[in-house]
Amino acid sequence: MDTLLTAEVAANSPRFRRKSSTFVDAIHDMPETGEMAPAQLYSTESGRLFHSGRIAIVTVGLPARGKTHLSVALARYLRWLGVKTRVFHLGDYRRQHVGDGKDVPDDYFFVNASASTVLLRQKILKKCRDDIYHFLNHENGQIAIYDAVNPLAAGRRSLAREFAKHDVETLFIESACYDERIIEENVRSVKISSPDYIGWSADDAVKHYLARISAKIPHFESMEETDLNYIKMINAGERISVNNCSFGYLSHRIVFYLLNLHIKSRHTYFARAGSSSEEDSYKADASLSEEGVEYAQKMGETLIRHRERERQALIDRGGPDVPPKMLTVWTSTRRKAVETSQYLYENGYRVRQRSQMSQLNPGVCEKKSERRIRLEYPEEVAKHEADPYHHRYPRAESYHDLAVRLEPIILELEREQNDLLIIAHESVLRVLYGYLMACNATDIPSLLFPRDEIIEIIPASYNNEATRIKIPGIHEKIIPPSPEDIRIPVPPSGAITPIRLDSSSPKTNTNATGTPLNGFATPLEPGDGQQLLIERALRD
Amino acid sequence: MTTYYKKTNGTGVQVEDTRIAVIMVGLPARGKSLIAQKVVRYLAWLSIKAKTFNVGSYRRADTPQPTADFFDTANKDGERLRHAAAEAAVADMVRWFERESGVVAILDATNSTKARRRWVKQRCDANNIETLYVESKCDNEELVMQNIMEVKTTSPDYKGQDPETAAKDFRNRIRNYEKVYQTIDEDEKDLTYVKLIDVGNQVIINAIKDYLQSRVVYYLMNLHIRPRSIWLSRHGESNFNLEGKIGGDADISPRGEMYAKALPDLVASSVGDDRQLTIWTSTLKRTIQTARYLAASPKGYDKLEWKALDELDSGVCDGLTYQEIADRYPEDFKARDDDKYNYRYRGGESYRDVVIRLEPIIMELERSENIIIVTHQAVLRCIYAYYMNVPQEQSPWMEVPLHTLIKLTPRAYSTEEVRFKANIPAVSTFRSKGSTAKHQEPENGHKDH
Repeated sequence: MDTLLTAEVAANSPRFRRKSSTFVDAIHDMPETGEMAPAQLYSTESGRLFHSGRIAIVTVGLPARGKTHLSVALARYLRWLGVKTRVFHLGDYRRQHVGDGKDVPDDYFFVNASASTVLLRQKILKKCRDDIYHFLNHENGQIAIYDAVNPLAAGRRSLAREFAKHDVETLFIESACYDERIIEENVRSVKISSPDYIGWSADDAVKHYLARISAKIPHFESMEETDLNYIKMINAGERISVNNCSFGYLSHRIVFYLLNLHIKSRHTYFARAGSSSEEDSYKADASLSEEGVEYAQKMGETLIRHRERERQALIDRGGPDVPPKMLTVWTSTRRKAVETSQYLYENGYRVRQRSQMSQLNPGVCEKKSERRIRLEYPEEVAKHEADPYHHRYPRAESYHDLAVRLEPIILELEREQNDLLIIAHESVLRVLYGYLMACNATDIPSLLFPRDEIIEIIPASYNNEATRIKIPGIHEKIIPPSPEDIRIPVPPSGAITPIRLDSSSPKTNTNATGTPLNGFATPLEPGDGQQLLIERALRD
Repeated sequence: MTTYYKKTNGTGVQVEDTRIAVIMVGLPARGKSLIAQKVVRYLAWLSIKAKTFNVGSYRRADTPQPTADFFDTANKDGERLRHAAAEAAVADMVRWFERESGVVAILDATNSTKARRRWVKQRCDANNIETLYVESKCDNEELVMQNIMEVKTTSPDYKGQDPETAAKDFRNRIRNYEKVYQTIDEDEKDLTYVKLIDVGNQVIINAIKDYLQSRVVYYLMNLHIRPRSIWLSRHGESNFNLEGKIGGDADISPRGEMYAKALPDLVASSVGDDRQLTIWTSTLKRTIQTARYLAASPKGYDKLEWKALDELDSGVCDGLTYQEIADRYPEDFKARDDDKYNYRYRGGESYRDVVIRLEPIIMELERSENIIIVTHQAVLRCIYAYYMNVPQEQSPWMEVPLHTLIKLTPRAYSTEEVRFKANIPAVSTFRSKGSTAKHQEPENGHKDH
């Protein structure tokens, strides 16, 4: 299979992850065929949505304008909607071509490069294009995002012509930036996270990066080609100018998404709502129990402490001593979620209640034991086990319903510039986590969010990464998933938990002695997620 | 039970603490009223409270049928009256936000000067209302003229007047505005605005502040003001219709087949000219069969199948008759009558769910020109409710007979509807609230979604 070519490139990319792990962002994974995406509303015969045909999205912009971030974010959103999308970073092909640890020739990014360099460039370009056509023509792909600088109008025109020959529409997205501060901030974050600079010293990386930019500046033409479809994002979305993008619902949907996107780096934390006092019920909106109140305080303290430590670590590494980034808290409107935010609220953090974030409606399963559900709805249980993401119990919501309902939250999540803590029911956390980490729909219902941990999602331009922050001293009995969940066990399907525990974790021991904490118990094994964590630690 | 549905189940778009005034900007005959009216309809359809405040109608209270002179800026009296009308409209708008917890208000006026726009912003800022300026800028003479012809026949300002005189007066009125018109430019970059140039050919979006604003902009980008119509038809009578069963994927009956054969002529007579239509059907057999003669007609219409146009999924009730549902799921049957819009079939969908899945279809419809949709009763009701502004309590109960073609033509002030009957008998599938058994007779087999 020709896909191997692409797979090879991806596998050699330092950020490639195995499909079995939800610990690392799957945004660069190969999409599965025939699988519904988390928020996909319907499917079409061709597998392409919106009758939009095939589209090449081509980025335009100088380095450090957030093109890669934009490509990856857009891919994440489009896939969430069920549009089969892949990002082709020309940079990955470059690195793949020159091999590990080697660098491209010095004049690689120069316009007046030597003949051999030009040849190398063309070879790399060709491979990338071939992969794009393969994805669109033979893998039922709908949108290929071609992430490269594309600095010249002439080049862009010929690119559009070439795509048109293959019956592919072209949409250019330029990220233009006239605000030096945004560029600098972006250089810093690109410098830290781009695979280009693994093993480089920070100063050298910045110098090289800036040299690369200035080599290109005299030859860069901002998009003015009114005959092409383009979206121009100015100063990270402060203004967006759209030209002639009338070829489909999708292009407008993309603009809609871009209107909510920013390129500032922001951490997202997920925490469960505390446990409530009375017997948990979906309908009765109960207050926190004693343990719940205690949990709320410990969680808040842990988070504040963690953020302070992170900041100190940054300063120790030579980072600027600036005030910490603001933290905003979102909770659902359920009483126990709101009360869980109380400690942070009292410590001066801003709390917003979001009604869309209320938990999955359990319908007829409310307050019923698993045994009773199995007894009363054997057929439903069978259906649920076959497709836990899309199946809904009578009167209940499915995870898919929840994902569709959460779409505004996802766009606002992209909008939010402050760091963000989301306190909600596990079902909501699963779906939001699934979006940020590009999980398969089938994995989402079995993601685990135990109460003794806060999950932190750290964005980088290539992909997001998740880590866990242990909350010490949490009462054992409130750690398992909340009792009001639909407790139909989903057959374990491999390592599908966002939280990979290392062997010294007490919970692994519990598991080893054969007393799973709950129905979702998942075999735990060290995996590539762990590996990446180590890598990250080394890099830092 | 249903109250929980309302609170938690898929209320498409929700907002909180957001109050947005959408301020229209643009010369007359640039489709401002059409846009304003559409935005309100779209938001209402998504359960967001929205209302238009048309400055023209405030002015009309004092000056019902002014001549172009009234709009000359040199005319001090006219100027004063027009400002008073703007004052009154803005005051009402602010009151509406306060008293009726409005979410999106549209101030429909020319707002053609920077000074006027600044004044509106100050009023809104003072009342904690966000502003989103929407400028429709169009220098395409042909489009403007089309719009003038449209407005002169539908605007209350020219009611009962000679069309020629009206058109002439209207063009003079526009000239008066052109004298003072200032487009939104760099001086106003602190404003949140969207500038639609030549009907969305080019769009500039500046400083969008929140999700709902982005949502409105998204909708606006899909709009166009070229004249067009939409034809809606249910599929021809199906075998399930005859048996009084709901859902399923049945073939059409012999009478349904007659309707399918009659459809090309029926469509031709209602179109009236040689406009090119595109046919949209669901993915179910009965709509595809119904549209197949139309698709095969020498006119060469394009045809697209949409999964999103499939009938409301009745879950466990799929393939049952109403009597069977009432027998097997008596509680559900009653729950559905109590709140049909929010009721979700076990394992199936509610009308609200259908509206959410139809949203991309509505966007695509807004972008397209002449479309004929062959679909199902519940889906058709939802699409119809969007165009005709039917409230949620009523739309699921609307009667849409089989073998009838509905033509909808969006106009500046409302949507015009014409129905064409094929005169081919069919069962009635309408079920009124509370009724069950009598609809089960095959010759009178009512079925309803």
